[in-house]
Amino acid sequence: MAEHPASFPVLTCMLLSPVVGIAILLCLKEEQRFLIRAVALVAAGISFALSIYTFAGYDKQLGGIQFVEKYDWVKAFGISYFVGVEGMNAPLLLLTGIVIFTGVLTMWELQHRVKEYFIFQLALVTGVFGVFMSYDLFFFFLFYEIAVVPMYVLILVWGSTRRIYAAMKLTLYLMAGSGLIIPGMLLLYSSSGLFTFDMLKLHGVPFSPWIQNVAFVLLFLGFGVLAAVWPFHTWSPVGHVAAPTAVSMLHAGVLMKLGSFAILRVAMYLCPLGFQYWAQFMALLAAIGIVYGVFVGLAQTDLKYVIGYSSVSHMGIVSLGLATGTVDGLNGAVFQMFAHGVMTALFFSAVGFIYDRTHTREIHELGGFSRIMPVASAFFITAALCGAGVPGMASFWAELLVMVAAVKVFPIRGLLAIAALVVGALFALRVVQTTFYNEPNPKFVHFEDVSPFLGLPRMILIGFLVFFGIFPQYMLGLIKTSIVPFIQGL
Amino acid sequence: MSVLQFGVELYYLVMALVLFFLTLRREPKAAADHRIAFSLSAVGLLVALLCLTQQGELFFRSYRVDLFSQIFKLALALGLFLVLAISRNLPSIAERNHAEFYLFLTTCTIGMMMLVSSVELLTIYVSLELSSYSLYILVPLRRGDDIDVEAGIKYLFFGAVSSCFMLFGLSYIFGATHSTYLSDIMARMPELVASPIGVVGLILAMAGFFFKLSIFPFHFWAPDVYQGGAHQVVTFIATASKAAAVALLIRLAVLGAQYGYHFTQILVFLSIISMTLGNLVAIIQKDFKRMLAYSSIAHAGYVLIGVLTLQETGLASSIYYALAYLVMNFTVFMVLTQVAQDGRDLKIAELAGLYHRSPLLSMSLILGIFALAGVPPSIGFTGKLFLFTSAMNQGYFWLVLIGAVNGTLSLYFYLRVVYAAYFVDAKLPPIQLSPPMRALNYALCATILYFGVAPNSIMELARAAVRAVL
Repeated sequence: MAEHPASFPVLTCMLLSPVVGIAILLCLKEEQRFLIRAVALVAAGISFALSIYTFAGYDKQLGGIQFVEKYDWVKAFGISYFVGVEGMNAPLLLLTGIVIFTGVLTMWELQHRVKEYFIFQLALVTGVFGVFMSYDLFFFFLFYEIAVVPMYVLILVWGSTRRIYAAMKLTLYLMAGSGLIIPGMLLLYSSSGLFTFDMLKLHGVPFSPWIQNVAFVLLFLGFGVLAAVWPFHTWSPVGHVAAPTAVSMLHAGVLMKLGSFAILRVAMYLCPLGFQYWAQFMALLAAIGIVYGVFVGLAQTDLKYVIGYSSVSHMGIVSLGLATGTVDGLNGAVFQMFAHGVMTALFFSAVGFIYDRTHTREIHELGGFSRIMPVASAFFITAALCGAGVPGMASFWAELLVMVAAVKVFPIRGLLAIAALVVGALFALRVVQTTFYNEPNPKFVHFEDVSPFLGLPRMILIGFLVFFGIFPQYMLGLIKTSIVPFIQGL
Repeated sequence: MSVLQFGVELYYLVMALVLFFLTLRREPKAAADHRIAFSLSAVGLLVALLCLTQQGELFFRSYRVDLFSQIFKLALALGLFLVLAISRNLPSIAERNHAEFYLFLTTCTIGMMMLVSSVELLTIYVSLELSSYSLYILVPLRRGDDIDVEAGIKYLFFGAVSSCFMLFGLSYIFGATHSTYLSDIMARMPELVASPIGVVGLILAMAGFFFKLSIFPFHFWAPDVYQGGAHQVVTFIATASKAAAVALLIRLAVLGAQYGYHFTQILVFLSIISMTLGNLVAIIQKDFKRMLAYSSIAHAGYVLIGVLTLQETGLASSIYYALAYLVMNFTVFMVLTQVAQDGRDLKIAELAGLYHRSPLLSMSLILGIFALAGVPPSIGFTGKLFLFTSAMNQGYFWLVLIGAVNGTLSLYFYLRVVYAAYFVDAKLPPIQLSPPMRALNYALCATILYFGVAPNSIMELARAAVRAVL
């Protein structure tokens, strides 16, 4: 794939912006809360702006990997700092920018250990940016781990329901996943004979089918844990529920996408034969995940659990799209990563606001909420509509593409997934009705609605969902520039 | 022979002499003794740095000064300097014994410095014994209950047994090759390929270093000695002496480089058992130092992964990891000495509230612990990945898989420490740190992160050092 060097180090700046933010925050005192928030916002804002710049500035005609920066790092092991942007990762960099910026705004009212919170949040986002832009396997894994570790602290300190259990479970699950990723990754590195971690060079190596089969399954299962692939998903709903609002946003909105993206970028890209060998298995797990997520979600009474299980289902759609190995399937999968990321961020952001005021997330306690807080309710309802795959929302196009591809390649599993999604959509609407449209709970009638400032991050998220729902070609056209050569290389 | 070739050892000999005179004082002057010892160790660090590029062979070729040995001497000098930096307050050692404590730490350092330069069997043995005897005295120096005596006896007993094994192995090698020089032995090793005597001899000869590194089956002493010794003594054992053991293990393992399959298979077996046993048993520990002792057994298994590859990058990775282990383990021990300033043993649960008592110490602890657990972007992560990469290059897929799974296992007990320190509240008074101690904390944290992200300089130095040995 053609590489086009950056005229200025835009990706490094995107990566360093949160790091510089952390360095400044370290020098501030806990009491300087406004300054702490402002620094975090500026750091996140710069990253956000740069992510928009790379998304909008990517030359679709030129194609290939653009904004490339490449430097030798550890020569002894062939490690280089190699970052770039293509159609596949540009939407995800944008997604990260959106979620971190709105996440900082969402947590503006945080009072407990504010400085540390933003330090860990920025550390997490540094890792996420790094994963999406890395083309060196070592750095890919390094950033992957950097993204995962702060989650432990964020849930443990600022979390709520069963936070200790959730944090420990999440960390151990994800580290166990890393325990599979390392041998899989190093198997490819050592069998290539090139002694390089450069993914583009490794892609050109004709690995034997045995190596590909072994490496693929290790990488798929290892990254699959983070992508909440069934049956390794159990950490995910528990983690969602325990995490504070912005961390849930990052967690479900961005972090889970790292797993799916890594399956695409590393496992499928480097082991095409392994992918073909395991594709049926992948599709089976994905279809089970979709059905399972929907039906377990039906039984939940806590709004966060509902979203948590719907995330398992929606991430199943991503996995199913990847498993098809077709242009439409992969296009839809990447678009779904973006759409689901923004949608879930909106979901958790809305629920977070409701919970901060009412201190409950129980569906039956929140009846008639739309009469008390119409704006806050509207945010949740919009997200629910998006989750139900309503046309005009970004996820509609993503789900459509994946399902079209899935029915062609895996007819039974595809149809099963479609049926489950219809049930899920109906259920989402029922949740909306029960929570927001019955008689209001008298305990909450005196609460004030979302202020314009706190509404801003939610509006930004809705703006992106609707924009790409109405103009999907902006996104799909960009993704396609890298998916087509990607498929040809498989 | 240039004086500088033997400069580091000479300097420390002079230092030991000065400290010896301090022990002769009728009235102990603890503060002055520490000041002198610490200042001398700081100068020693500079001397080791100055002598880094020295080369040559001394004492009838039995002593080789090369980049490999000089790097480890620098690490040992750093280890001594760091341990003395946290020895201003020595509550668990009687005041009249402070000067002895500094003296025997120094003689132990000299022994280990000689060890890393020794390329002849008897010189190796004598150097090892010099360092070991110093530690035999240091371990029971702790005053208080009988746990120190038990630890001292255990250390002496297991040390003596491993020493016997080692002598036995050395005699096999000598018997088979008719030389005590490593260079001659290396040349004659191919002759031994046909018989198992070479493998048995080499493995037994390594026993002394397996003991120092607490590799299975020579690991029994570690938990008791870690728990029973004074914090500062254990810190030295857990950091500097490990680095020296890695150095000699590499020198001896290289002898088996052409020897092939059986030799490395035994090392693979020892590595897997050490990693797994250490991590599994560490999970159930409640005492902080015992937990660190079992984790050191696991880390010895990791180091062995690089050694058994018997090629340049693998051995260089082991050196990198040994240096990384020195820094990260020291960081954790430093926090331990500061939290338990009265010298008592510390349960993991007693770290509760550390975040409120001293945010800086808790930051150092979290970084040190995460580095030991192999969490990025620390030196522990980079070091482990280098070790695994080297092993995979040699085809040790299962070993890497087991190593990686062990990394996850270890996370469980390391996270318990982080949890106790950061997330459990306890109403205890704040811990006051002196400005130098604060500076030390910052320096260690920066080292853990910087060399984790930018390991190239250390790695290239380690590779150059390995080239001097291979």
